[in-house]
Amino acid sequence: MNRFDHLVLRCPRLGGEVTFAYCRREQGDLPCRMTLRCWQDLIPVEEHLRECLSDDEWDSCFHTPPKDKMTTILEIADAVKKRKNM
Amino acid sequence: MRQTKVFLNEDEIPRQWYNIMADMPTPMSPPLHPGTGQPLKPEDMAPIFPMNLIEQEMSAERWIDIPEEVLEKYMLWRPSPLYRAYNLEKLLDAPVRIYYKNEGVSPAGSHKPNTAVAQAYYNKAFGIKKISTETGAGQWGSALSMACNMFGLECRVFMVRVSYDQKPYRRMMMETWGGKCFPSPSNITETGRKVLADHPDSPGSLGMAISEAIEDAVGKEDSRYSLGSVLNHVLLHQTIIGLEAQKQLEKIGEYPDVVIGCAGGGSNFAGIALPFARDKIHGKEVSIVAAEPTSCPTLTKAPFGYDFGDLAMTTPLLAMYSLGHDFVPAPIHAGGLRYHGMAPIVSHLVKEGLVEARSYHQLETFEAGIQWARSEAFIPAPETNHAIAAVIQEARRAKEEGKEKVILFNWSGHGLVDLASYDAYLSGKLTDYQLPDEEIERAKKTIGQFPKP
Repeated sequence: MNRFDHLVLRCPRLGGEVTFAYCRREQGDLPCRMTLRCWQDLIPVEEHLRECLSDDEWDSCFHTPPKDKMTTILEIADAVKKRKNM
Repeated sequence: MRQTKVFLNEDEIPRQWYNIMADMPTPMSPPLHPGTGQPLKPEDMAPIFPMNLIEQEMSAERWIDIPEEVLEKYMLWRPSPLYRAYNLEKLLDAPVRIYYKNEGVSPAGSHKPNTAVAQAYYNKAFGIKKISTETGAGQWGSALSMACNMFGLECRVFMVRVSYDQKPYRRMMMETWGGKCFPSPSNITETGRKVLADHPDSPGSLGMAISEAIEDAVGKEDSRYSLGSVLNHVLLHQTIIGLEAQKQLEKIGEYPDVVIGCAGGGSNFAGIALPFARDKIHGKEVSIVAAEPTSCPTLTKAPFGYDFGDLAMTTPLLAMYSLGHDFVPAPIHAGGLRYHGMAPIVSHLVKEGLVEARSYHQLETFEAGIQWARSEAFIPAPETNHAIAAVIQEARRAKEEGKEKVILFNWSGHGLVDLASYDAYLSGKLTDYQLPDEEIERAKKTIGQFPKP
């Protein structure tokens, strides 16, 4: 149990309230890319996550440029087509 | 008697959507195919969207006719009324006239049906029988379910599980309109099954739900995927809001000094703003403000002092409630409308200086929403509260400057299905943070070396 897990914030992506526990595991084992932005002035989120994540995990989560929506959609569609041998 | 609402007759409804791509002062970078690195071609998107919507996505035509079948459905709630917010004006005691488009009058309670109906129609016209989509809290999923029902299509909605469990009412709306709503991760798709195998209690995420919705649609002749924001054709369909507003304001001899919309993915903002952005491109003086969510300094907890606005300590010292310029990493300062969820058109307009982005903390937005509900009575959707916060800020500025202003904004939806959010705010769940003492001490130490305001 993380010390901030019970805290609640309104998620701008989902449009509903979520706990910090959700944000820090939104991408499976990784936090949501917006975690720092959403929590930065409420809790020492950067220091906290740096303690929890490896350098590689930190970089892949916060230093990798995010893809735009259309790219994401096409990549998912291509992966599905490959899987279905289309 | 004073006039509170301005209506358009049904025969006055705009019969074309406005496509700002025709008027962009500088060209936007074309989207590239992630596999080839080449500009996207229509056929690249063909397994995902119907070709008639792909044509709209790539179109540079300024005006695009709204099909009669879509207009007929729009007539159930459109033209939406333009209101004057007299009571808020009185409360703010500022030299402003505040007008708003009430998009909460749609059957789903938000602006989302403007594109949901159009997308359902075009899918139907292309011979599609099923549409898959994802939804967060369910605003988009419910709008698309309603629209699919109107055109006899099957609607399959993958709803992020955490919302599915917490927010049953929009799921019920979807089901009432005949949509099928699955908690994501689900056992319907390979993606979902894989996640569930590893994490049976996964609360899901939007990324996961998108993957499931696309997998559900791709590879089936009669199925396509649908998105409720961000994409060009979605923004195009929403322009009916601003086009109606222009006609309504013209009827009463008004033109806005400021146009405001809240910007999440960008579609409701674009709906009110793009027709006015066109005016601005052609020389009209109008400010256009995109109000977005952020986490900004918590005024009650951080010490007040001078601080730098950046990590490099190159900006002038600013008096503010601050946790210290070193509290957040540099990339965070570069946020603001540039995260991947924002519509490329809106991002481009911000880059061009045609639109100003402003950020509002969620507590400030709920405070604005409560002020609105207690003056204008309608309870706004929490997203709409961002626009209201911007309106209040603009009115206060006008008062300080002693300058008359006409403000127009998009009241994008009601909050009757979001009362749990208001409850969280009113009961202090969103505010009850106890920042550790050592953090406050660290902040004081950081800014202690600078002069006091």
